[in-house]
Amino acid sequence: MTDAGFVIAAYGVIVGGLALYTLNLWRRLRAVSRDDRAP
Amino acid sequence: MSVLRAEARVALAIARKDALAELRGRHATVSTLFFAAVVLLLFGFALGPDAARLAAAAPGLLWLAVMFAGILAVNRLHLLETDDGALEQLALYPVARRAIYAGKALAGFGAMLLLGLLVLGAVGVLFAVDIAAAWPPLLATVILGALGVAAVGTFYAGVTVRLRAREVMLPLLMLPVLAPLLLGAVKATSAALAGDPFGELAAWLQLMVAFDVVMIVAGLATYGFLLDE
Amino acid sequence: MMKTRVLGVAALLAVAAATFVALAVVPADLNQGDAQRIMYPHVASAWLAYLSFGVTALGGIAWLWKRDLRYDAVALAGAEIGVMFTAFAIWGGMMWGRPVWGVFWQWEDPRLTTTALLLALYVGYLLLRRLTDDPERRATRAAVVGVVAAVDIPIVHFSVEWWRGLHQTATIASPDRVLDPAAPMAFVGTLLGMLGAFTLAWAYLMIRRYQLARAELAREERARVELLAAAR
Repeated sequence: MTDAGFVIAAYGVIVGGLALYTLNLWRRLRAVSRDDRAP
Repeated sequence: MSVLRAEARVALAIARKDALAELRGRHATVSTLFFAAVVLLLFGFALGPDAARLAAAAPGLLWLAVMFAGILAVNRLHLLETDDGALEQLALYPVARRAIYAGKALAGFGAMLLLGLLVLGAVGVLFAVDIAAAWPPLLATVILGALGVAAVGTFYAGVTVRLRAREVMLPLLMLPVLAPLLLGAVKATSAALAGDPFGELAAWLQLMVAFDVVMIVAGLATYGFLLDE
Repeated sequence: MMKTRVLGVAALLAVAAATFVALAVVPADLNQGDAQRIMYPHVASAWLAYLSFGVTALGGIAWLWKRDLRYDAVALAGAEIGVMFTAFAIWGGMMWGRPVWGVFWQWEDPRLTTTALLLALYVGYLLLRRLTDDPERRATRAAVVGVVAAVDIPIVHFSVEWWRGLHQTATIASPDRVLDPAAPMAFVGTLLGMLGAFTLAWAYLMIRRYQLARAELAREERARVELLAAAR
């Protein structure tokens, strides 16, 4: 793998990971508030 | 000052109680020692038969065996608690909380010291290292290492005493914390066996002392909270 | 709620901008080449990991002192987000290490080995929490474990530095070289920008994770009340 490959792998996982975690948090927050409304 | 003395008395009483219980249930202690021996044997199979390689690895193998067996030892010392309600009674007095930790850690230290010395002897025999020549620094290393493992192990045994999956959680929590102690103990042992060619022995022993002090203070400060359960 | 959303948008824009600058604007390092660009998110992640675990330790102490479960919620948020940034830091370190050192791992790099141990400590913390159902017992166990883990970290760092120092190997390149006072301004500026952007993202995620923790705690409490009512 060239240097560029490692750079992309690094940024991809880190920035991508931030995005995925954010989406995951949103999903969990929605799930919890849904439970509130349901009896 | 008399409060401190009362605490010390309580701590020693607890240590004595645990030590006596250990000695009476002798087969458990012996099993732990044999476990350490089995670990050393397996290391021999894994890394041998080249004597030079084993001798070079000996310090690391010594302390790994001590730490793995140490998990079993501290685990057992805390099982003694769930039986009698005396500990719950004692925990009601705030003065006694630190003493409970100190007493258990002291008993643990006794067990770990015995374990450490026996494993040291076994390593000397199995991996052909001359421990007699450097016995003062080696003894110091074993004492400091035993103290550290006892301090940390007693604390985490207290954390996991009523935890689900405690067989895996105790080592999982304890071992990462022990990493710097392991490093220091192995380097000190290695330096001592080589006759301290680079003059680094003192530095590693100091690291071990610092670790022990920090962990004992942390244990004394926090263990009491676990007794509220 | 609205302010949090604004924070989130600001974080998103900042991270995008910082990434763009780090990849396309700032020049590559003369010695390390393009691989040096990895160091910006790697160092930023590492700093935020340490910050997160500091928050966890303080949150735990606050719980032990004040017995308010909101502090425990803060501690939990710090630990989960801290584990994430720790994983990023390790990954970044490995991706940087392969082109620069020739290997993915270097035992004597204090930052890398300390961070690996950090990961082990806080994954243990999270597992411990998961195995305890009673909220107050969970908070107490987590708090004491968090404190001991926090005091262990400096010892780990020193021990590995000693390990490297006494071994007298040729100085291995460290990812932190951009922190060297002689580093060019462009590098320092890019790092600070990345750090700022990541910190905004961290703050946003911490708030959201805290809210989630509070909501889950309330749900737990409701479930327990219902159980008690049904038992009667």
